[in-house]
Amino acid sequence: MSGLPPTTSVKRWFVTTNHKDVGILYTITALFFLLFGGVMALLIRLQLWDPTSQILSGLAYNEAVTAHGLIMVFWFLSPFAFGFANYFVPLQIGADDLAFPRLNALSYWLYLGSGLLLAISFFQGGTLSAGWTIYAPLNVPMYTPSIGSTGAVLALAMFVTGTTASTVNFLTSIHHSRAEGMGIMDMPMFTWSMLATVWMMLFAFAALLAVGLILAADRVLGSVYFSATEGGSLLWGHLFWFFGHPEVYIVFFPALGVMLELFQTFSGRRLVGRKWVIISICLISVQSFLVWMHHMFLTTINLEIKTLMMATTIGISLPFDLVVFSLIYTLIKGRIQFTTPFLFAFGALLLFILGGITGVFLGAIVLDYEFRGTYWVVAHFHYVMFGGATALFGGAYYWFPKITGKMYDEFLGKLHFVIFFIGFNAVYFSMFLGWETPRRVFEYNPEFQIYHQFGTIGAFVLGFSFFIMFYNFAKSYVSGDPAGDNPWDYSRTAEWAVSSPPPLENWPDRPSYASGKLEFVKDFVPDGGPAMKTDDNGDVATDGGDSHSTHISEYPYWDKHASHASIWPFALSLALGVTLFGFSGFADAVTVELGETALQSDVVISNTMYPIAIVLGLVGLLYTGVKWGLEDFYAPPSEFAERWPFNGVEKVKLGMWFFLASDVIVFGAFLSAAIFVRYNAGWMTWSPLTESLPGLINTFVLITSSFTVILALVAARRKSRKGLLATLGSTILLGFTFMAIKLWEWNHEIFDRGVTISANAHGDPIQASIYYVTTGLHGIHVLLGLVIAIFLFVRAYQGHYLDDERPIEYFGLYWHFVDIVWVFIFPLFYLF
Amino acid sequence: MIDPVILQQGSDWRAQAEIFDEIFFVFLALGTLVGTIVVAYTLWNVYKYRDDGNRSDEEFDAPVVGELPTGQGGPKAKKLFLSFGLSAIVVISLVVYAYGLLLYVEQGPDDGTEGDIEIMVEGYQYGWAYEYPNGHTERGELIVPADQRIDLNITSRDVWHNFGSSDLRIKSDAIPGDHSETWFAVSSEDVEAQGGEATYRVECFELCGPGHSQMKSQVTVIPQDEWEEWYANTGNSSESASVRPAGAGVTAQSGVGA
Repeated sequence: MSGLPPTTSVKRWFVTTNHKDVGILYTITALFFLLFGGVMALLIRLQLWDPTSQILSGLAYNEAVTAHGLIMVFWFLSPFAFGFANYFVPLQIGADDLAFPRLNALSYWLYLGSGLLLAISFFQGGTLSAGWTIYAPLNVPMYTPSIGSTGAVLALAMFVTGTTASTVNFLTSIHHSRAEGMGIMDMPMFTWSMLATVWMMLFAFAALLAVGLILAADRVLGSVYFSATEGGSLLWGHLFWFFGHPEVYIVFFPALGVMLELFQTFSGRRLVGRKWVIISICLISVQSFLVWMHHMFLTTINLEIKTLMMATTIGISLPFDLVVFSLIYTLIKGRIQFTTPFLFAFGALLLFILGGITGVFLGAIVLDYEFRGTYWVVAHFHYVMFGGATALFGGAYYWFPKITGKMYDEFLGKLHFVIFFIGFNAVYFSMFLGWETPRRVFEYNPEFQIYHQFGTIGAFVLGFSFFIMFYNFAKSYVSGDPAGDNPWDYSRTAEWAVSSPPPLENWPDRPSYASGKLEFVKDFVPDGGPAMKTDDNGDVATDGGDSHSTHISEYPYWDKHASHASIWPFALSLALGVTLFGFSGFADAVTVELGETALQSDVVISNTMYPIAIVLGLVGLLYTGVKWGLEDFYAPPSEFAERWPFNGVEKVKLGMWFFLASDVIVFGAFLSAAIFVRYNAGWMTWSPLTESLPGLINTFVLITSSFTVILALVAARRKSRKGLLATLGSTILLGFTFMAIKLWEWNHEIFDRGVTISANAHGDPIQASIYYVTTGLHGIHVLLGLVIAIFLFVRAYQGHYLDDERPIEYFGLYWHFVDIVWVFIFPLFYLF
Repeated sequence: MIDPVILQQGSDWRAQAEIFDEIFFVFLALGTLVGTIVVAYTLWNVYKYRDDGNRSDEEFDAPVVGELPTGQGGPKAKKLFLSFGLSAIVVISLVVYAYGLLLYVEQGPDDGTEGDIEIMVEGYQYGWAYEYPNGHTERGELIVPADQRIDLNITSRDVWHNFGSSDLRIKSDAIPGDHSETWFAVSSEDVEAQGGEATYRVECFELCGPGHSQMKSQVTVIPQDEWEEWYANTGNSSESASVRPAGAGVTAQSGVGA
């Protein structure tokens, strides 16, 4: 009934929404990007062989440096970890799948699509060459003019969109679908690390999305944020590092989770001080948002703030100390088995210790002053991030038997580890020795040539070692020994309790920990009624289920099979990819020559490919979005699940809340940018660009529309189709009124007052940019809301939502949020 | 705040390089010591508790699939906190120690003999322009006197650069629209030791475009009297490769170690 073709069919991999399939797709795609980024690394190392020769041009070298960093950080490390998370988090918590399987497939396709956009950017006049930190104003078209640079920025934005979807999905799954009896403190450590990771991602990636959108506006629409001397450079620094520091832990935590699992499995010991490790992980997640300025000690930040940031930086190293000691003490008195997965996990610990100690050096500001921009930093973060990823390769060996049902070759695995470990230290320890070399410089001081040559040899050894792994996995997949369900002596977590590979819906019967250990429970399903739990000691377990008993959904779950296939995630991602491809060349292909009025303005199109791509893509987005909404896709709610601390919140509502939380950060970043730039320009030197009356009217319009949405929900609950149509219709009308006033206002600003996105006849151009971009982002939110509202209106006309008004309620949440944002925008842009 | 005077050892100033070398040495020594102890202890235990099949089953409680974690605190939590406390003390004392010297580096020596020379440094793609108090502008080479504190006021004309000299252990961001500051001083002994003219390599430490690698410059320190003679002749000729005192040939890219 699932409509999912067999694994041998190509079609399956385009339509699958099953978490295990998506996990495999993630892992394989990430390994491809490892090769891609690895080739970039080898190009860099070849160039560094000799400081006087030139293999790459300065521009090509910068492109290689940038692509290497972006690919490894974004397109390899996190997705590789998310491959395992996709596959094993649901298994470890006893869920059938992630909370939103289609959204999960969408995340993957957005990831792949964004990677393809990045690859295409190399052929659009060269990809971005501003480093993975993309510092301003090198990131604006004046200094990096290629279309490919814009393509890479948009690829990053697309990647982050997919990541946000994934984050919402994992947060909802872990907080909503844990098997009965598995309290939050009982979760396996890998799942715990992933939970901390996605919480950080929710906020950190929202900041990156915001800064990426602003940069895209600068590059595509001509706003002037990052070229502004009113703090444009520092604005990038703050927003990027507000994301960038948590990102270090986002990358490292999944690897830490693998280490925590593997240390236990291969020593036969349980984690020492488990509670304290969990508390440390939570502390680090919070603290990670309070240290970002330590990346900016050499800017003009004052001493007091630097001191504070130094203190928080040292503060964040302390919970890590505890985790490291816990890992070490877990091994003591164990029966340590030196299998390949353990060697990688243990190697990761050693590398991380070195990375951690050298990080303390960077925490001392005086030393940081000298280390800034040198290979000390490069070596340090490779030891931390790639050192952590070492454990992920351990995870690949560890879970390979579960995923394939075959055992890998132990000798080749160990050989891989030895060569990997030697190569790793050769390339990165040599960087500590030659640390005075500036980053991203290839004509370095010849004194350090010996270290760089050593490093280059190490890099090739390191790169070679991965081919042993690929060969091992390929050979073992074809002809390895059957692994059995549980090849490890001391494994504990639930993925080892099912067959290898696990069945499509994971479990023979409903998994439950209510008795203190994993059991499979057969639920008694009475005719026409919801499943009843057979034991009565699990009050918590049923808390979350209550919401369903009051809303009888269209499809009683005991009567309906879970869906596992949908083409729309792939199609939607394709449409977005085409749209963004179009936008990458928009600024070059389309020029607008302003006339006296909008009608007298000329649009000159020099290259039709890009505008056509935009139109096709947008139409495709609308089409696939509607198809998505209409598709009869059923993801069963987990009826008996542990949901602390979100007991009683329905699944989709919980997901909506998570999404809105990340959107709060996106708008927060836009508004912070507005405030930061205005502060740098001199707060009182700016007065509102626009008249306040249209804004005031719009405020009333939007607030009124919030009321009509509430009335729509009331009407739906009263099963009044007329009332629902009237209130939804009013909401749509009010929304269009808002947009019409906005349009009039922009038209007035542009043609009557000469205020465009990049020019301002009445003051700083950056003020005009901020006005258009911030209110524009809000306008896009309103437009998106209108599209959904129209969709709901049509469906309501057909008679839906009277039995199940939840879609109206969730749309209302979004709509209220958009209105609340306006309440912040209005005073900032219209009053003061 | 700690009074920086304590750290100055009387009226003698200390170059940033000296302070850096001291802190770096302390961190390196302690870091190596702690790292060696932790890694050696770990390796020894991993070897000791390897699974050689000869260990007794006593006090070994093998985990089973599907168990829920028990004993969240764990029996070794005490030891865990002891190690944690020790490492915290090491880390915090290191940073407090380094912080005292930071205050000195931030303020610079209070050496009011001659008055400081403030140089405006402007980064551009791909080089550095140095503007002296008299308006004279020099490119490619910053010529300053020995035994005097030099204040640098650093900005950028185009993109974000970073002015740094590894040999002098100074570094500061050059950000368009913003001014950052640092200082340095070279003693006449050092200048003498290098034959009457000390040169220090200057590089850009922030990716700034295709020419980033070639964005080099140097600081040249000469004796005070020679410098004053040279400086007096600069007033009327701005922005030129000005006439240098005899014997001070312009040498390109002679790193101090070379």
